[in-house]
Amino acid sequence: MNIRPRRKNLACCISLACIAMAMQPAHADSAYGVDAILGNAFNTGYAGGQRDPDATPSKHTPTGQLYGVPYARDEAVAGATSGWVEIGILSSGADEKAALFRKYKDPQSGLYLNSFGMTTESDNARFLDITGGGVGNDDQFYSLSVGRYNDWKVKAFYSETPHVFTSTYRNLWSGTGTANLTLNPPLVAGPVAPATAATTDIAIGNAALATPYSELSLIRKKGGIRADMNLQDNWKVFASYSNEKRDGARPFGMVSAGGGGTGGVEIPESIDYDTHDFLAGIQYSDALNSATLQAAASLFRNNVGTMTVGNPMFLNAANGIVAAGGVGPFPRAVFDLYPDNDYYNLKGEYARELPDMMKGRFTGVVSLSQSKQNDNLIPSTSYAGATVNAIAGGAWDTVASLSQPTANLKVDINMADFGLSLKPVDDLDVKGKIRYYETQTNSNYQACNPLTGQFGRLTNDGSGAAMFNALQTNGTAMTAGQAAALNAFMAANGCNEAALASYLVANGLVPAAGNVNIRSIPYAYKQMNYTLGADYQLGNSNSINANYERETLERQHRERAETWEDKIKLGYVNRGLENGTLRLSFENDRLRGTPYISDPYDPFYSASLGSPNTGNLAMTSWIHVNSLHRKFDLADRDQNILNGRFNYMVRPDLDAGVSFQLKTAKYPDAVFGLDGRNKQEQNSLNFDLTWQPSAQMTVSGYYAYQDGKSEQNGIQQNACVVGTTYNFWSDGSISTVPQTAAQLAAGVTLVSTTTVTSANFLATCGTASATSPLYATSRAWNVAQKNQSDTLGLGFKFDFSNMTVLDVNYTYSSNRTKISYAYNPYALGILTSGAPTAAQLLTLGLIGGGFSDLVLTQNVVDASVLVPFTKQSSVRVLGRFEAGRIRDWHYDGVAANPTPGTNQQTYLDSGPQHYRTYVLGVMYQYKM
Amino acid sequence: MIWERFLCKGAVLAALTALLLVFSTGQAVAAEATYVGEQACAGCHVTENKNFGHTLHAKVFRQNPKNEAEKQVCEACHGPGSNHAANPTDKSALISFTKEWGTPVEKQTEQCLSCHKGGQRLHWPGSIHATNKLSCSDCHNPMSRFSANGLLKKASITETCQSCHKQQEAEFKRRSHMPVPEGKMTCTDCHNPHGSATQRLLKADSVNQLCYTCHAEKRGPFLWEHAPVREKCTNCHAQHGSNHDKLLVSARPYLCSQCHSPAVGHPGTFYNASGTAANAQIGGAAGQRVIGRSCQNCHSMIHGSNHPAGARFQR
Repeated sequence: MNIRPRRKNLACCISLACIAMAMQPAHADSAYGVDAILGNAFNTGYAGGQRDPDATPSKHTPTGQLYGVPYARDEAVAGATSGWVEIGILSSGADEKAALFRKYKDPQSGLYLNSFGMTTESDNARFLDITGGGVGNDDQFYSLSVGRYNDWKVKAFYSETPHVFTSTYRNLWSGTGTANLTLNPPLVAGPVAPATAATTDIAIGNAALATPYSELSLIRKKGGIRADMNLQDNWKVFASYSNEKRDGARPFGMVSAGGGGTGGVEIPESIDYDTHDFLAGIQYSDALNSATLQAAASLFRNNVGTMTVGNPMFLNAANGIVAAGGVGPFPRAVFDLYPDNDYYNLKGEYARELPDMMKGRFTGVVSLSQSKQNDNLIPSTSYAGATVNAIAGGAWDTVASLSQPTANLKVDINMADFGLSLKPVDDLDVKGKIRYYETQTNSNYQACNPLTGQFGRLTNDGSGAAMFNALQTNGTAMTAGQAAALNAFMAANGCNEAALASYLVANGLVPAAGNVNIRSIPYAYKQMNYTLGADYQLGNSNSINANYERETLERQHRERAETWEDKIKLGYVNRGLENGTLRLSFENDRLRGTPYISDPYDPFYSASLGSPNTGNLAMTSWIHVNSLHRKFDLADRDQNILNGRFNYMVRPDLDAGVSFQLKTAKYPDAVFGLDGRNKQEQNSLNFDLTWQPSAQMTVSGYYAYQDGKSEQNGIQQNACVVGTTYNFWSDGSISTVPQTAAQLAAGVTLVSTTTVTSANFLATCGTASATSPLYATSRAWNVAQKNQSDTLGLGFKFDFSNMTVLDVNYTYSSNRTKISYAYNPYALGILTSGAPTAAQLLTLGLIGGGFSDLVLTQNVVDASVLVPFTKQSSVRVLGRFEAGRIRDWHYDGVAANPTPGTNQQTYLDSGPQHYRTYVLGVMYQYKM
Repeated sequence: MIWERFLCKGAVLAALTALLLVFSTGQAVAAEATYVGEQACAGCHVTENKNFGHTLHAKVFRQNPKNEAEKQVCEACHGPGSNHAANPTDKSALISFTKEWGTPVEKQTEQCLSCHKGGQRLHWPGSIHATNKLSCSDCHNPMSRFSANGLLKKASITETCQSCHKQQEAEFKRRSHMPVPEGKMTCTDCHNPHGSATQRLLKADSVNQLCYTCHAEKRGPFLWEHAPVREKCTNCHAQHGSNHDKLLVSARPYLCSQCHSPAVGHPGTFYNASGTAANAQIGGAAGQRVIGRSCQNCHSMIHGSNHPAGARFQR
């Protein structure tokens, strides 16, 4: 793993930045990159203080919203120095329960420097500006700007952002945050007999219950510097560098053996990231031309590229890896976490006014990017002695067993965008635009061991395997001679897929299964957007606009080679209303594409090495998916969106706004996946009000409502074995046996039968139908998710005559997701056809009609009273009271039983909790 | 004061000249306005002048003007003021930026862009905000210092945007959300409200390239890729906020089963409430795809794996 950025690139970028900074003089243009704001939860905006009591009556924005009342200020004097500091005592009740409250903020009890700032100016327009806040806490921030107005500016910043994932994590390991997680006693890594899976399940559960809750979180620490300079009236340059370090841990999954059947343990993922970002550019603008050229680089480095975890699970020997030295076969798991990567971008933008060509305007953008990584790959297993299918010499614990030692991956991303707008007559603007966006990848990793020529992979440290093997064409196992010959051929073949496929055909062999990964899939796509639009002035203040856009996407190795979406949008704007502004728009989108191929992935699986066998065997591995299933990102879609906003000046001191969005989407050809029969909906309605009766008082409020509905259909697969006859019964159940006595007594009758043959298996099993043995429609299920959110915000600000300022805000939010489902319990085998048992009926009761609702309700009160007692000094009392109630069925019962099954599945994050907390502070403000 | 008398005389003279011109041509043609200087403006607009003095515009215009337009201070934005001085109630005599005054939005924008062309405003013409006839002063107020930066009409970028975008403000109140309400991120970290060559005013060439600016580890590329992840993060994540963990658009495991229904394995299984850890204690069967992180209990490297054995995103 390359931990350090490549020096050459680094040097190049630093040079660019230094050159730009060294040149004299610029003008901040904060819209490049992130970090557009510095602050924290107690400093979300400008600390203005008292309002100007002499302010003239409020005016309205051109839309009709009230401007606020300006802050009171002394006369501006060039060359003056001003500043402030706010320091005091904070008392915080935000304990470990209040993880949701602390998610991105860090209020701590004690002495607290909430914010400070200073600006000093010289007579010749030079300035120095310093701000900061949250000093010492995990959400602290600082900035320093120096420059000359209208000439140049250099800004340095540092900011920390906490991110609390959970405060109810039972950590069974030491070393969290590092590359090695060591199991804490009494658990041992790789337990052996007399331990069993069952006793280990209990031991892990007991250890978890004995472990107190702790927090998993990370902190983003980011610092950077940016310079902006005006070279002349028309030229500007800018350059920036930032470094972000992320440290911490978050909940993560560790599964062993072949999959979930052997359980899995929730582990902490160590996070130790560094990201270096460089940007430099130059801008030009005159009366006719505008241009920007910029170069950017982003270098990501993971200092824990590989993480080794002590595995407490009792696991059986597998693939020749056995217990040794009193330790089970798999005492550790090794994760290859996110690899280092480099990203480069060069972008040019140009616009030219064309006054002599129907007052036209041309714009063009070209952007070239490359993302690449070449991390050293790690072996499939860290255990020596692995053999798969009895083939020795695989050396699976070495990089030599891999088809390539490093990742050697890159993605090229190219974008070009050209537009032309014209004004053929005074009241009409027309515009056209064409946009091209493409990603290209060189991904071509072969899952093949060159030492043995075996295709496939050891999974989960070697505790499982998904490996190519062969059978005779009649489905029976190879003879010893055939196996030996095949092994010898593969060893000499050197991972040549075509040669292997030919060998199989020539020797009467076929792959045993069709779903073994043999190479990676190089996903890539090309997107084109063609846009034609017009905007027509109906009068001085009314306009209508129309826009047509066609978006085509050509994808490589997806279910659809191409999709195209036609988007038609109509809009109406009326600014001519005496006291209001109305904006309306309607959009209709229609996505279609080339025929949907359910299984385009055969070339990347063992299915490409031969045909299915014709023997009496399960054929499911040759069927990728139910052919009636549609992945929503590729499915036909009809979408309508209606947007509206009306702003109204009720009185000179009172404005109101109402906005809404009605959105529906339908997937007309999707029988399975997102439901094609019912619309997916999302409706939003919002009101807002601001009353500003005087310069001293502002009252504001808003209410936002949103509901949504999403339905999906799935189908639980059954079986598809050649030579087997499947009976479909009147209650939806499926069996391979004749009618039972219980069925007869219950009146359950035979509806139809299907016999699977090697000739018809794909037709009968690959598509959902009433008589499909694999995808019988009686086994379909429907899930509806309904969301509803209500948010109410109220604000009150009052400046008393003695300049005391009261500021109170209240927010209520309620978010609820209701999940309900429909299914046939007989078809799914939940109930035995004709003879449900008591235990089954108990399970049926537990299943019910859906999950308990996912709920988050929050009440938040923020209050602040600022009392000035001299011109410079004030005292501010602040308080925040917050209560949250959350329910998430994913975590129901986890706290009481972290190992709820018997197969060692272990959940160590007990989930979010209700909380009720506060922050109180008494702050002293000094202004200079 | 002498200059006030001078100004009044000048205004009267200008008005008389205008009247003369109108009557002499028989048409209502206003005299071409001329600059009157900021002292003339301040003579009437005392409070505005006091508040304006603390703004970046004032500092630039007064302390280090670069051209003749900037030297005009008030009139750099409002245009030559002689006609306005002559007839202060004539709303056609001066460019103003409020609803009450009624200067056409196009005129207002043109005035701002006369200095602020190019750069991040390069894509303003034809942008969604321009099409909806927003004026610069729907978001900015250069007459007073309401915000630390940007001469915004509200104290912060977030407040400014959310004065219209209430739906998004509510979305940031959800269980999982970007740290916008906490002051650690703001709308312009992702969007350029002045226009973009990318849909939804995004600041990068695509959704993914935008997300990677903060989530660089997910940029890869990886040995084993997850197709919808490589194409668009918003296939699975709600960008502003969600009622589900990790800003997911839907509850797991159903989010995953919207795409996955293979003939082998479990994604097509009907997962239900009997599989919660609580119900497992009273007769249900603990469901590894129901409890906790659901599908990601096993498929933890869901954004892509660089492990040779990571085709199913488990290592």
